[in-house]
Amino acid sequence: MSNVQQFQYDNKIVRAFGVASFTWGLVGMLVGFILTLQLIWPELNLGLPITTFGRLRPLHTNAVIFAFVGNGIFMGVYYSLQRLLKARMFNDTLSWLHFWLWQIVILCAALTLPAGITTSLEYAELEWPIDLLITVTWVVFGLNMFGTIVKRREQHLYVAIWFYIATWVTVAVLHIVRSFELPVSLFKSYSVFSGVQDALVQWWYGHNAVAFFLTTPYLGMMYYFLPKAANRPVFSYKLSIVHFWALIFIYIWAGPHHLLYSSLPDWVQSLGTVFSIMLIAPSWGGMLNGLLTLRGAWDRVRQDPVLKFMVVAVTAYGMATFEGPMLSIKSVNAISHFTDWTIAHVHVGALGWNGFLTFGVLYWLWPRLYRTNLYSTNLANIHFWLGTLGIIFYAVPMYWSGWTQAMMWKEFTPEGTLKWGNFLDTVLQLRPLYIMRSLGGLLFFVGTIIGVYNLVKTAGQGSFLAQEDAEATPRPAPHGRVAGEYWHKLIERRPFAMLFWATILISIGGLIQILPMVFIDSQVPKISTVKPYTPLELVGRDLYIREGCVNCHSQLVRPFRDETERYGEYSKSGEYVYDYPFLWGSKRTGPDLHREGGRYPDSWHYNHMLDPRTMSPGSIMPPYPWLLDNKMKTDDLAGKIGALRKLGVPYPKGYEKDAPAELQVQAQKIAKNLADQGIKDQGVEDKEIVALIAYLQRLGTDIKVKNQAGQ
Amino acid sequence: MLIVPGGALLAQATAATPAAAAQQADSLPQYMTWALIVGGALVFIAAMFYVIKVNQFLYKRIVQMEAAKAGVALPEDAANALGGDSFWTTMRKKYWEDVVPVEREKDIMLHHDYDGIYELDNSMPPWWLNMFYITIIWAVGYMFYYHWGGGGPSSEEEYKNKVERAKKEMAVALAGQANAVDESNVTALTDAGMLGEGELIFKNSCAACHGQGGEGTVGPNLTDDYWIHGGGIKNVFKTIKYGVPEKGMIAWSSQLNPSDMQKVASYILTLHGTNPPNPKAPQGDIWKEEGAAAPQDTTVTDTVKTAEPAPTK
Repeated sequence: MSNVQQFQYDNKIVRAFGVASFTWGLVGMLVGFILTLQLIWPELNLGLPITTFGRLRPLHTNAVIFAFVGNGIFMGVYYSLQRLLKARMFNDTLSWLHFWLWQIVILCAALTLPAGITTSLEYAELEWPIDLLITVTWVVFGLNMFGTIVKRREQHLYVAIWFYIATWVTVAVLHIVRSFELPVSLFKSYSVFSGVQDALVQWWYGHNAVAFFLTTPYLGMMYYFLPKAANRPVFSYKLSIVHFWALIFIYIWAGPHHLLYSSLPDWVQSLGTVFSIMLIAPSWGGMLNGLLTLRGAWDRVRQDPVLKFMVVAVTAYGMATFEGPMLSIKSVNAISHFTDWTIAHVHVGALGWNGFLTFGVLYWLWPRLYRTNLYSTNLANIHFWLGTLGIIFYAVPMYWSGWTQAMMWKEFTPEGTLKWGNFLDTVLQLRPLYIMRSLGGLLFFVGTIIGVYNLVKTAGQGSFLAQEDAEATPRPAPHGRVAGEYWHKLIERRPFAMLFWATILISIGGLIQILPMVFIDSQVPKISTVKPYTPLELVGRDLYIREGCVNCHSQLVRPFRDETERYGEYSKSGEYVYDYPFLWGSKRTGPDLHREGGRYPDSWHYNHMLDPRTMSPGSIMPPYPWLLDNKMKTDDLAGKIGALRKLGVPYPKGYEKDAPAELQVQAQKIAKNLADQGIKDQGVEDKEIVALIAYLQRLGTDIKVKNQAGQ
Repeated sequence: MLIVPGGALLAQATAATPAAAAQQADSLPQYMTWALIVGGALVFIAAMFYVIKVNQFLYKRIVQMEAAKAGVALPEDAANALGGDSFWTTMRKKYWEDVVPVEREKDIMLHHDYDGIYELDNSMPPWWLNMFYITIIWAVGYMFYYHWGGGGPSSEEEYKNKVERAKKEMAVALAGQANAVDESNVTALTDAGMLGEGELIFKNSCAACHGQGGEGTVGPNLTDDYWIHGGGIKNVFKTIKYGVPEKGMIAWSSQLNPSDMQKVASYILTLHGTNPPNPKAPQGDIWKEEGAAAPQDTTVTDTVKTAEPAPTK
């Protein structure tokens, strides 16, 4: 044909994202490994604030999700999008802007999270300036992607690109809504939602971050790289269509399954359950289309490490997406929630699905980018087996541990008392399992190091193809429906129609669940005795957030006999109305703290923060001696009170002026209590510990019969 | 090396489970749940079996085709070409699997290629589609049962029912048991085994505030002659049971059963006069045993030898 156009694919940007992916991947996994060791030997924080579990854990999750997988997504998208559309990326400057902005976001995360600058909202911990930066980056990515789509030479969009479009729009919506926050200072903001609404928005976000950051873009990548690697046609086009639309519509509703038996109204919880169950088939659609695409290629799966990695990835995806719905059934969730079961579940997904697919793609991509063969198939096989064993050694002890935890928490003696009334007993029981889990993490990490070595050596022996020549005919003029073609072909020619319908479908679930919760008062019954936090308690609460206490302690007593026996009355939604943000947590490495107020004397907390093991022998909580030394920071108190008033907390007008004096009075009172109880340290009333004690002693007491020790 | 001691402790860890599991499984929804999980797991295994089976079948075909290409004679599968499907084949295609074999996949290959990737027009696996329908029906049923008039219990009702049932079970368990000690009839134990158990409880639950040797840290010294809330087994038992919340002593009745509280209270009394290092200064009043009161050993068992006199207060 005469009108064939010559152009070049940009491989440099693909390589950059690939290198960023495995480099950050190593960092994220190393931090994860350190965290597993800290749960065995808490002194491994080396006594430094920046290395305590509560601050490092968000670093681990953010590094793995946004740095390792995030860069992996961009690597896969930038490679496959150009080829599927027969076009170079829209604009090279945008590509590199996207790349560097994203690395800056990651760097900011790595600097702020250990410093305790955090919103405490899981997977949305980054403070508002970084949120803005993420928004800009995402817009740049969107412009570049849709620009490429517009100037494409290919008439129809392939299924991989459907997933990329849905990913882009949904992540944008999720990120923007979750980042509704009111800044107090450069490093501090309050979520505009409080308590139960904040919890709902959080898990709408958190669940769908898994769905649309860890799942849909990777499904898109699977649809490109798996058929390429196997050299087989995709099993079923119809299956692609049905499972794609069903998946993006249903996924968004399932968030409330993170809040089962919480004080979220039952109707929202039930929606979370039923949509999770309905999600099994759409999720498995992706797994089946992947595995059945390998029909006739299984002989090669045995030899080709790329296919091996991909098969295990897709199988792990199938297992995790079956387990997820099971965990969404209330009676299973009653056992699994807050335990290590959840940790096992997410790691099957993260290590198996995301980790293995990333490396499958990297092993396929690197030899092509460098026009050579993979440096060593043996090393790749070793990586495969270390990784697989790593997943097993990680997941099995964590399932065991989660089950053990739940059973011990719930066990009663025939006389009706808790068999393991001391929470610590249930913690000590898990240590051997934690040791095995560490071993699993180490195996996976070592495998990854070998993998990275293999890729570096591959690059070293080849020559990089920065600009790859390609040619294609221009896209024919757009046309309407052709008689006899699938109805869906029409929308595949119209990317913006696809964007539009995807946006509608992914919005419905969230709107139906969140709007009534935010705008209909009766959804959160008021409790008249619940009052705003005092200035000192507010300072303490922000310390609780800074130290990441929420990573190990929940603040949600569920309506279970064992929990009300262990902690006290179960939590009511009206108790949380002034909680900006909510601090329910998702894991109980330590006990729930919602009824902590008045449980122990002030001096107990003082000693416990200085060294938890003096009060609870064998505890795996790290010591927080700096809270006893640091002077309480109150200069932003007026700003905080003003911000919270704007959000709806009924602090009286001009309260900013009275607040410092009120804070002093309460601090003096706690200092006196401490002195009476034998703690005679000088100047204790100015220290951070006093604020934290004030907050802990307040927790859950608004609806409690007054019998507080600290008063 | 790490695994071996781990394994031993694992056994210990799970020793806790059977009793609890039995308690867990006491209601119908639990059975339903497990049925669902097991059922689901079976479906997953079936799905994997399906994938493997299809692939094995097709792999064999490829081998055959390659053999044919190489000129090796192959028996032709004549049945394939003949006639319509049997009843069972029809049913299978409708509800279970309906896949076009690899060698005929050219017939269903869509014309378009994307960077060399082709798509087949296989129908969606019927079992998969049916599973999707079933989950949708299940979802509607669930919403009916719990919200649209089906009478299913709310989380709160579920909780109340469980607590009610537990109360009845506890009453049965406690009835006529030696365990039914309370502050009016408790006696100090002297049996070494019992005191040993008391010591264990003390180390786990009390030492944090009262010191390993009872010397007192946050809480008062338990080894001297002074008691804030009264000495003697009955007072100590009472303090443990109900706590003194305004002073930070928590009520242990929810964590320790009566016989455990008796054991630990008895152990505490044995600490008297042990003079541990770093004792906390005395608090409260001197407690004197008043032998005049009549012993009230109503819960005599062979391990209970002496009865403390009742406090006069």
